Amino acid sequence: MPARARTATAMAFRDQLRRPLVLVLMMIVPAYVITRSIAETLPTPRQIVLPGEIVVTTTMQDLHGAGMGGLVVAFVVALVGVFVMQSALEGDRRLVLAGFRPGETVLARLLVLICATALVVAVSVLVTALNFSAASWPPVIGALVLIGLIYGAIGALAGAVLDKLAATYLILFLVFTDLGVVQNPMFHTTPGRFADLLPGYGPSRVMYDGAFSAEFHAGSDLLLGLGWLVVLGLAVFFVQRRAVRAAT
Amino acid sequence: MSEALPISTAFVREHLRAPLTLALLVAIPVFFVLIFASVLGDFAEALGGTLASQSATAISAGWAAAFLSGTLAFFQISSSRGADRRLALAGLGPVRVALSRIVAALAIGLTVSAVAFLTLWIRSGIGHPFHAAVAIFTFAAIYIGIGALIGAFVKGQLEGSLLVVLIFSVDAFSGPQMTSNGLVAVTPTRNAANLLIAAGGGQGSPGGDWIGAAAVALAALAVALAAFWFAARTRL
Repeated sequence: MPARARTATAMAFRDQLRRPLVLVLMMIVPAYVITRSIAETLPTPRQIVLPGEIVVTTTMQDLHGAGMGGLVVAFVVALVGVFVMQSALEGDRRLVLAGFRPGETVLARLLVLICATALVVAVSVLVTALNFSAASWPPVIGALVLIGLIYGAIGALAGAVLDKLAATYLILFLVFTDLGVVQNPMFHTTPGRFADLLPGYGPSRVMYDGAFSAEFHAGSDLLLGLGWLVVLGLAVFFVQRRAVRAAT
Repeated sequence: MSEALPISTAFVREHLRAPLTLALLVAIPVFFVLIFASVLGDFAEALGGTLASQSATAISAGWAAAFLSGTLAFFQISSSRGADRRLALAGLGPVRVALSRIVAALAIGLTVSAVAFLTLWIRSGIGHPFHAAVAIFTFAAIYIGIGALIGAFVKGQLEGSLLVVLIFSVDAFSGPQMTSNGLVAVTPTRNAANLLIAAGGGQGSPGGDWIGAAAVALAALAVALAAFWFAARTRL
């Protein structure tokens, strides 16, 4: 990594670390929501269909345990994406004027977003594990990371092109539609007809597969999620680079 | 007040100048009531609540009004602190700036509540429409207070938004629609939720719930006014 990119990255992290309330809330929000949602849910029996047409009988409580992590990770990381990129638009333009390449400043902000995802996922996994036993944790953790990165990228895009209020409302709308309702097996035995058009489809199928099956059946869903991540990641890089450069 | 009203109109325009914001202010309450509410009956049952589906549907309208109004009030203070101080210094004074802000917040809160109420009425029918309308607007008024209070003391927009989300989550998970646990009966929208649940189920509400909801809403608006004044006052 060139010296300028290292400096931009160090400054981007320092920018976040000087606001300890953000870090505290990034841990408290997932911890509270996951713990409370599992604790409040009754173990009512529920049958769902996993990838590979595997039929599993579980409970509403376990479904809440398996799925709430994804919802909270998506919402929190998407909000981080909105505001990290909005502050980048203000500060990084000056860095570009001072001689930094636009790509270097965007890379620094993306690294902050990746670390934020890692933190929120780590807290979510820890809290979920205290209340719920997944059949296989690696797919669950991988899916949560994928959900965080996909929604972090969506938040970053929203932050780059929309007003803060509109971006926040859009994130709320999208996360609850996609992960809260359409992909949620508490409401549908299998996701509906157009569920696979939404970004949360692939990773949430991987997540529920790992939560309720010791064998992995969601290879194509994983690829779909990775595809969304690559497309959105590239979109964020180019949109943000253009936005930072446009002001110079 | 006559001086504050044009400023309030300008404050409303300031937030609604992005067409997507306006579209989402209408779409989210409709979405919450139509889509989320269609599954909320089963959801509330699984969470140990005792709500009928119609009452669970009604509560989704209150949630939508609450979250949208709380977020809006937070951003009103957070995004406009500098401009409001300049307006106050230019002769409007912090009290009139605060009055203008709260009138703008209430106007948008009323619009969101009206959309949520109409969607609910058309979708499910409401046994006591007037009670439901008041209850939904009470949700909005309470969250205007919460959002403004957070905005007055938390400068960072990310941490402020996350705080609104956290308080909303605590409130929603502790409300009568989600739990029968009486130990958590001190959440801000509890009385408003009782009113809305009763109205959704076609029943009236006891006087205690009306007094409680009105007291919390008025206290929240007083807090919001103080928060808007605090943000607009001159620092020496």
